[in-house]
Amino acid sequence: MTKKKKEKEEFLENELIEKSLSPHPLSFMKLQSLCLFLIIWGVVLGWLVNFSEYKTLFSGNEWFILLAWGLVLLLVGVIASLIVIRWTIFFLYLGVFVSAIAFMIWQNWLNKDVAPVFIPFYSVAVSIIGFLIVEIYRRSHQYIITNLRIILMSGFLTKTELSIRYDKITVFGKQGILGQIFNFGTIIPITQSGLGLGTDQTLAAGGLMLGGKKAKLLGIAGGGKEVQTPRTRSSFELHGVHPYREIKNLIEKLVQESVPTAYHQEQVAFQKQQVDLQKQMRDLLKIQTKETNKKSAQDAEMPDEPEDEEEELEEYVEPEQNNVQKQMKELLKKQSELKETEKIEEENEDENVEEKS
Amino acid sequence: MEGYSIDIVIFAPLAPILGVLLFWFIQLLFIQSEKYLLEKISHKHEPLCRFTNFLGILFQTICHAMGYTVTKSGISDFFISVDYGKVSPKKERTGLFEWIANVFLFIGPFFIPAFLLLISLIFLKVEGLELVIPSHIIGTEYSFGGQITIFGSSLYNFSEKFYGFLINIDLLHPGHFGFLLLLIFLGMGIRPSYIGEKKHEKVDMLYDLKNIWSLISFKPLYIIILFILAYLFFHLSVLLNQFWYVELFSIFGWLSIISITALIIADAIILLIKITDKIPGKSRFIPYITIPSTYVLTRMFFFYFPSDFTKIASLSIMILSTILITFLILKYKTKKFNTKTGMKPLRGKDDEEKKGKRRISRKRTD
Repeated sequence: MTKKKKEKEEFLENELIEKSLSPHPLSFMKLQSLCLFLIIWGVVLGWLVNFSEYKTLFSGNEWFILLAWGLVLLLVGVIASLIVIRWTIFFLYLGVFVSAIAFMIWQNWLNKDVAPVFIPFYSVAVSIIGFLIVEIYRRSHQYIITNLRIILMSGFLTKTELSIRYDKITVFGKQGILGQIFNFGTIIPITQSGLGLGTDQTLAAGGLMLGGKKAKLLGIAGGGKEVQTPRTRSSFELHGVHPYREIKNLIEKLVQESVPTAYHQEQVAFQKQQVDLQKQMRDLLKIQTKETNKKSAQDAEMPDEPEDEEEELEEYVEPEQNNVQKQMKELLKKQSELKETEKIEEENEDENVEEKS
Repeated sequence: MEGYSIDIVIFAPLAPILGVLLFWFIQLLFIQSEKYLLEKISHKHEPLCRFTNFLGILFQTICHAMGYTVTKSGISDFFISVDYGKVSPKKERTGLFEWIANVFLFIGPFFIPAFLLLISLIFLKVEGLELVIPSHIIGTEYSFGGQITIFGSSLYNFSEKFYGFLINIDLLHPGHFGFLLLLIFLGMGIRPSYIGEKKHEKVDMLYDLKNIWSLISFKPLYIIILFILAYLFFHLSVLLNQFWYVELFSIFGWLSIISITALIIADAIILLIKITDKIPGKSRFIPYITIPSTYVLTRMFFFYFPSDFTKIASLSIMILSTILITFLILKYKTKKFNTKTGMKPLRGKDDEEKKGKRRISRKRTD
């Protein structure tokens, strides 16, 4: 089965594709910059060790080159991890460093003069693999905007799929500097259940130890703060989509079309009232017809009875009927008034737009 | 020093100021050419234009913020995007403080990028950042002529060392390569104003000059104060037999030279982009591939056959081969150098016309 056929089968009845998107090649720059740093540092170290005026500092000591390379890598890993509050960066660089040592031990290169050549090439090779992985990861994302929902698909081994309907979602957009330059950005659909929201936590704690050798007093005080913020994984957002402004406007429009406006809500309330009144009217008519049928049957049995009872029935039914009719009239009047005001507002808006243009 | 003459008292302090103004005008001209080129390629290279806009706005906003910091106005709001930058002061100050903040806003963007490059040059151990006092002016060093000679000599000395460094730049040296990248990027961001499809007003050299002129004419008193301060500083330097005054203006001169160079290199790159846009298909990428490949190949060649001119020769070959290849691609892939009608038929026509004229002239003579 072809991919397109499969996609077609997955769509709902009357569902039309508005846009099919994938993240911009530069939208995963945070991950790509990790590889970029590895390349730059590998090349710089290669130059320092092999060609620079400082190369004598490194000559004859294989471990020194390896440690210098690894220490800088880990230091940057720690700093980057602290900035983005994600220790995976540090562990990633640690993995790269440990793998380099393991590879050199396995090949028995530690006591040979191999490190000055091996480390730059290893850095570049690992970076290229890293770039490829990021690219595969980027390509595994697919976002489909249809007239009914947003479908978010991702994952190259484990596939995830999320379908978000337009009613009751809030659209959040963000665009970094790179996004502003290349016209891409991230759009997060925040649902009422909280999908699309992350939390920023701030924790602070302090401790104090008092006392001499025998008695010690320990006190710890701390506190935390939590703020909910629009943040989610690239699988649950339209990550780095291009052209950003156009897509955001499209989603906003689709959301607007799905969400009932105040006018629509009022119209629905009117229709409800109309239905209620019609029901009342129908019930009254039923009573009326029943009673007239009864009356005609009685007339047939006793034709000489006076007409007072008929008058009684009319007196009994008519006020209610009148009341319902009155209500109906008022309702229709209100509805027409509302329509007129809506028309005037629309005309004013059009005039404003014309004036602005 | 031959006593205090009218030259020293009045004219000498003006010499370095005029020198800086001259270089600054040249800088403005190159900025104008960069803006023109960027505008020409803006429809095809929107991201590049947005990037240069961002750099320009970034420097402008930083300078504005610096102005508010220096005048102790504080910063309450700092916003920067690709097409707009805004800095609001905490305290609204008027008078001299407001004026100084505006001076930072208008003048800063011309010199801040160059200042960053100057710092990079210090890290790269480029010489020439010292004042040169020619021996033949000793005795008249504080006169107008003396001051302008010191200013000119210092700039010449710096230019010699700076351009010496540039033509011998080693693109396989990470520091040198990084400096070149910085030079190109900052060159693109030296006050390019706004270039793009949503241009609301024409922002050119005259606009910049008009802004500065309105700043001067807005409060002429402050300009007079500034001049008095400059004169005081000059005479203090003379009294203490120091060259602080001319040294300060020489720094501005160096910054202008760096800016002009950065702008020239940025202009050359934008020009290459503009030319390659005319080449159809993937052939347009060939000049860009030529740049690194010819350099690496020539460096490899000189690695096996060492020479004293390795770096300069590699750089020259790289530039010449890029120009040549671009020219050849333009010639064979486009109709850029073709005339509307072929040259051969025209030559034939020419010959026939000449023959005809001869016949007529013969008839007349007969």
